[in-house]
Amino acid sequence: MKRSSWFNSTVAWLVYAFLYAPIAVVVVFSFNAARSGIEWRGATLDWYRRLFANEQVQSALKVSLIVAVTSTALAAGLGTTLALALEKHMRRGREVVNGLLAVPVFVPDIVLAVALLLFFGLMREWFRVFELGLVTIIAGHVTFQIPFVAMVVRARLAGMDPALDEAARDLGATPRQVFRHVTLPLLMPGIVAGAMLAFTLSLDDFVVSFFSGGPGSTTLPVYIYSSVKRGVTPEIHALSTLLMAVSVVATVVAMMLQRRDVR
Amino acid sequence: MNAAARRRDKGWWLGVPGIGWLGMFLVLPLLAVFAVSFLTRGEYGGYGLPLTIENYRRLAGWGELGFDPLYPVILGRSLALGFGTAVLCFLLAVPLTFFIAGLGERRRLVALTLVMIPFWTNLLVRTYAWQLLLGPSSWLSEAAAAAGFISAGEGLYPSWSAVAIGMVADFLPFFALPLFASVEKLDWTLAEAAADLGANRWQVFRHAVWPQIRPGAVTGFVLVFLPATGQFVIPDLLGGAKTALLGNAIQQQFGQSRDWPFGAAMACVGLVIMGAGLFIQRRINRLKEAGL
Amino acid sequence: MRKSGWLSLFLAAMAVVQAGAAQQLRLFIWSEYIDPAIVKQFEAQFDCKVTIDLYEEAESMLAKVQGGGVSLYDVVVPPDHLVKAMVALNLLAPLRHENVPNLKNLDARFANPPYDRGNKFTAAYQWGTVGVFYRAEPGVKVAESWSLLFDATKQMKPFGLIDSQRDLLGAALKFKGHSLNSTDPMQLREARDLVLEAKKRSTSFDGSVAAKNKVVAKGLKAGIVYSGEAARGMTDDKATRYFIPKEGSQIWQDNLAVLAKAPNRDLAEKFINFMLDARVGAQLSKFTQFATPNAEARKLLGPEELSNPAIYPPASVMEKLEFLEDLGAKSRLYDEVWIQIKTR
Repeated sequence: MKRSSWFNSTVAWLVYAFLYAPIAVVVVFSFNAARSGIEWRGATLDWYRRLFANEQVQSALKVSLIVAVTSTALAAGLGTTLALALEKHMRRGREVVNGLLAVPVFVPDIVLAVALLLFFGLMREWFRVFELGLVTIIAGHVTFQIPFVAMVVRARLAGMDPALDEAARDLGATPRQVFRHVTLPLLMPGIVAGAMLAFTLSLDDFVVSFFSGGPGSTTLPVYIYSSVKRGVTPEIHALSTLLMAVSVVATVVAMMLQRRDVR
Repeated sequence: MNAAARRRDKGWWLGVPGIGWLGMFLVLPLLAVFAVSFLTRGEYGGYGLPLTIENYRRLAGWGELGFDPLYPVILGRSLALGFGTAVLCFLLAVPLTFFIAGLGERRRLVALTLVMIPFWTNLLVRTYAWQLLLGPSSWLSEAAAAAGFISAGEGLYPSWSAVAIGMVADFLPFFALPLFASVEKLDWTLAEAAADLGANRWQVFRHAVWPQIRPGAVTGFVLVFLPATGQFVIPDLLGGAKTALLGNAIQQQFGQSRDWPFGAAMACVGLVIMGAGLFIQRRINRLKEAGL
Repeated sequence: MRKSGWLSLFLAAMAVVQAGAAQQLRLFIWSEYIDPAIVKQFEAQFDCKVTIDLYEEAESMLAKVQGGGVSLYDVVVPPDHLVKAMVALNLLAPLRHENVPNLKNLDARFANPPYDRGNKFTAAYQWGTVGVFYRAEPGVKVAESWSLLFDATKQMKPFGLIDSQRDLLGAALKFKGHSLNSTDPMQLREARDLVLEAKKRSTSFDGSVAAKNKVVAKGLKAGIVYSGEAARGMTDDKATRYFIPKEGSQIWQDNLAVLAKAPNRDLAEKFINFMLDARVGAQLSKFTQFATPNAEARKLLGPEELSNPAIYPPASVMEKLEFLEDLGAKSRLYDEVWIQIKTR
């Protein structure tokens, strides 16, 4: 059984084609002059132009960005501190917290979404908080972002040389100074990588946003879903292409940051 | 050593904000789901006391119009879909990861990134794109009609096959990445030794290769099987909103049907499946670490 | 520290943006159901911003309001058969008639409806019918009957079924010769089995707008669509047609209502009053191509609308139309049947 047998290569190439076919279709048809159907009728930038004039799209874009930025900031903070606590400090309780972190990753997103919906409903009844809207969407996003940030930061921490910490401490630095001047700068690429992944997750999330959204807090994916349900239009192709471009850039940057050596 | 250990444990408060957040927005909501699943639906929707196990009885099949194995069937269907997706992903991921492992260092990174990228693009977008690719007038559909798989004028979408295609396309990276983690570390000398001793290709795979990649495969399997069982977007968009699976059924209860306690009960079932899956995965990996 | 500093700055900015915004009206309405020009006129006249959220079927609207709370929106547009339920659930705020003088513009047939005597909570918005929208083929005669969907020998493939509980079950009940408000379990079982059988032959479940779009785009040959959507579809594509099946069908009336804890109740009532104005009503119906319940607005409509049988059916057809009624506790039967239809 050889590694690079022709069988493996063929399957691999087919798989790549399979994975990229939908993406290619959307990108290509965002430039198609035909209003519907899949016949090619010449290239045009019309749909992109109409996209930028569409008020609902602009509103959805604003909401998506606000949610993504806010949730990413929160998740970055919470995830990093959690990762630090887990890697460097907690001996006991580590298993439990690991299990807790696994839940948002493995649980079907619809279960998480309805759980949040029920929770917000109960909170509204008892404490009059958590009206559905931006706050609830952000809260939901942070919840599934934290495990990803924590995972990336922990990987980074694990790869860091403890000798550097010890050396700094031997030279007389307080723990706080060690953190600020040694640990944090070295950790930064990991934190940023985790943040970029969290950002992408938030931008692309549909299920949680769908259930936790309220008036005027329609995100881009929710808008795309409603439009698709009513009948796909080429403007949606254009919007999707742009959305995918952003995700791709963010992912590639994140991967590059992760690969940088801890020197 | 003691001083260092104490110094290490002192920083545990760092984890408090993160754990606190998860406690409030993860644990409490899941508890809420569990609790609501024992409540009764109000006359026009909504929910309240009395406590009841009626919702679970309905899930087991005893509904208002007599016994009907409807929900056990939906659950079975969802599990089958999750399982089938995971198996198909496995069959495709093995050659894929082997191929990537056989590439040079730099190409390997490119190949992996290329697998990752679709994973990070929007699921909705990729799914509705399959609507186009599999619709009645697409090449794929026309080819399938010519080959006799479907009748002329029909499309590959909407249908179960479309759902399967969409699911595999979405979940393949979930499988490939953990699997690759194991494949990367494969010790080929074992395989070569087995081949030298006269084993055929299947035996080489089964005895020399598979035990080594099993942890990655199991992780990948669980990573695909669990979320796939609860998917609703892909069956909704590619199944023409006709096929009902666990994910759709839950969404239906919280949408049109407005039966929250019942939906909560379904969600609990989803949670149980997830818990079982995670538990099994942990056990298998721990056995592997113990050298079995 | 850097991170928290940026965060607080950001949140403060958001708060400022929210506070500085002019008055807001939150409208929850069916998709493609209001003229954007009308919205702009309202915003200009009353110096406010209108946020619109959309839904595709009535029960989803109710679910969202029930789930999200009664201060989620200001104005919602419930159909006739859901008003009683919403009132019973305390979801609606009473209309203060002194703020809505234009109520007098409503046609006597649509003002003071049986489900809301005295217009305590609602004001009629538009009315219409449910029927079949299809693509005509030259030389092919089409029987104007529900059998286009429900009879395997007369079906028009590919077709879609409407993704709406009462609408679809109503069609099945009518085809079988029953009332679409039937609560007889036998009749409902008949309807259920009919739909399940049709489901196998159908392509998909779609909302009215989606079905209309698909027929125009040639993805479907036939679908169940509301009259206004059909009228607009026929304007888009001259080869399409709409009919009300001879076995009978549904006539419905949509209403404007204010949510119980609407954040901006005064503005909501001003909005309703605005929509009941004669000229606005006429403009609305010209856009949506649904029928107007507003007598004064009707005077401003031209023969193109008034003589269009899709929008204003003749008396002979009107006889065969039935309003949906709220069924109280018996709606559970419909819920159960619908779940079975969707999940088998």
